[in-house]
Amino acid sequence: MRRVCCLLVVFLVLAGSAPAAAHVVSAGADLRVALTIGGSELTVVVEGVRRVPAPLRVRVEAYHGGAPERLALELRSVTDGRTATGAVRPSGMVAGDVRPSGMVAGEVRPSSAVASDVRPSGVVAGDAGLGDVAELRAEQAGPYELRLSAAGESAVLPFRVLVERGASWELVIYGALLAAALLAVGGLLTGAVARRRAGMLVSAGIAAFVAIAATFVVLEPYLPVADPDGAQPTAGPRPFARALVTTVPAEPVAGQDYTLRLDLVDGATGVPVDDLAVHHEALAHLVVTSQDGVSFSHSHPLRTAPGRLEVRLRAERPGRHLVHVELERQESGGQLLTGEFTVADRDEPPRDEPPREEPGPGETTTGPVGAAPRMVPAVPVAGRPTTVEVDTVAAARPWLGMAGHLIVRSADGAFLGHVHEMGTGGPTLRFTFGFPAPGRYLAWAQYATGERIVTVPFVVEVPR
Amino acid sequence: MKRLLGVLALVAVAVAVFVLGRGDDPVSVAVTGASYAVRVEIGGEVEVRVTSGRADTVTIAASMPSMGHAAPEVSARLAGAGRFVAGGEMLSMAGLWQLSIRLTGPAGEETLTVQAPVSAAR
Repeated sequence: MRRVCCLLVVFLVLAGSAPAAAHVVSAGADLRVALTIGGSELTVVVEGVRRVPAPLRVRVEAYHGGAPERLALELRSVTDGRTATGAVRPSGMVAGDVRPSGMVAGEVRPSSAVASDVRPSGVVAGDAGLGDVAELRAEQAGPYELRLSAAGESAVLPFRVLVERGASWELVIYGALLAAALLAVGGLLTGAVARRRAGMLVSAGIAAFVAIAATFVVLEPYLPVADPDGAQPTAGPRPFARALVTTVPAEPVAGQDYTLRLDLVDGATGVPVDDLAVHHEALAHLVVTSQDGVSFSHSHPLRTAPGRLEVRLRAERPGRHLVHVELERQESGGQLLTGEFTVADRDEPPRDEPPREEPGPGETTTGPVGAAPRMVPAVPVAGRPTTVEVDTVAAARPWLGMAGHLIVRSADGAFLGHVHEMGTGGPTLRFTFGFPAPGRYLAWAQYATGERIVTVPFVVEVPR
Repeated sequence: MKRLLGVLALVAVAVAVFVLGRGDDPVSVAVTGASYAVRVEIGGEVEVRVTSGRADTVTIAASMPSMGHAAPEVSARLAGAGRFVAGGEMLSMAGLWQLSIRLTGPAGEETLTVQAPVSAAR
């Protein structure tokens, strides 16, 4: 009896020393967030980790030429303030993806290669430490902020490092089986099973532990699963957010750059909204169009402070501009926020900088766009699905998680739709959308090729 | 036989304690900003321990976004070196509260935000 008790004590000590959380299952998901920084469309990728502490691998994908050559990174734990810094250079461009290690002396490059990514070898030597991937050490699970800085702009990206922990029920099951096994082996070794009373106790113990293990095996599918380490407690859907839209300067001038600022507030409390979910690979999708639809930009503003998103854009045309912001709060559905501002004519008194002629930030319509899109049926019927077919000028690569995006705006700007490509593959992108009412719609189909983002503008007339 | 039943009962109690005993711990959340770091502990009261930086005043604004609730700002009283305490009545119901903790001090003003799951029985 005493020996059995000793064995039980040993088991309990062993069970107590088992790790509270077994980091055996990977969280496995990469975080992908699109940002419009330094006038360039980039996607920041933070690769998932199985355990902490571990280096977080961060890389940045560029979608068109002129991307900043270097992004400074700072990873800060919101829990304890520990920081790790690094730098990375954007990669992923077909024409401009030139790695320093792959450079051959005297190699002739096609003149169409994106200038910003091709550097003379003398410059490469000074930047030898700058790679396509930065590794920033995360000591623990929980909330983090990743600050990205380039071209005088910076964004603070909040995210959480989650590490799966094994279900506590598994501990019960394996613990009970281990206890049963220890009792069986211990009972045999000590000869307890040969004695009537001790043998009965040992058998009863084994039966009890096996019964516990069997019960939890049967019940396991119905038992709650532990949240991953570092997860935020769930709270349920949030109310609508409102965006206060302002520009710096207050009245942008045609031909000049300006900053569009969105201050997000909770519609129910007026508290700043800082709980945006990453939705179609961005914290927010911002569509700015001139009233006549000639000027269009689809960008991904930077979170510069809690509840504040900002993006640097180029004012192309004077007049009224419409702002549509598509975003999603955590545990809630998608929302569309709207606003407007006016661009002054460039005949106004000159401001700080003279107008420039090269493409500005947020402009993605440069280059050929291919044939005009086709409609099936050729004349759309209001309220019924219409398929829009767009022939690509080069092989499309996924951008914002999809092969293509179609943005549809009513002529007056009161309606905005965002449609995704149907995933058919091949050189033709297909979008299906039901134009809600008769009228004139301005539409822009967008996709990424190896070297740029192509925007195909067109107009759809839906007859009465 | 009685002993057998006794052992089984003990095992059952141990399992029940293991399963049920993993209930709500008192809420304790740490957050670090640029100038200050705090640990927020929520029991009957809301205690803010300033673990880094020197804060002169601590003001707490609680809101529960999922319910559309916001509570008035409360100035926490100094209850020891770097310890500030406010009454727990601002957290009027169970659920996930968002506490915006505004600190002022020689390093300037900073607002730190924490998410705190508050249980009914505190």
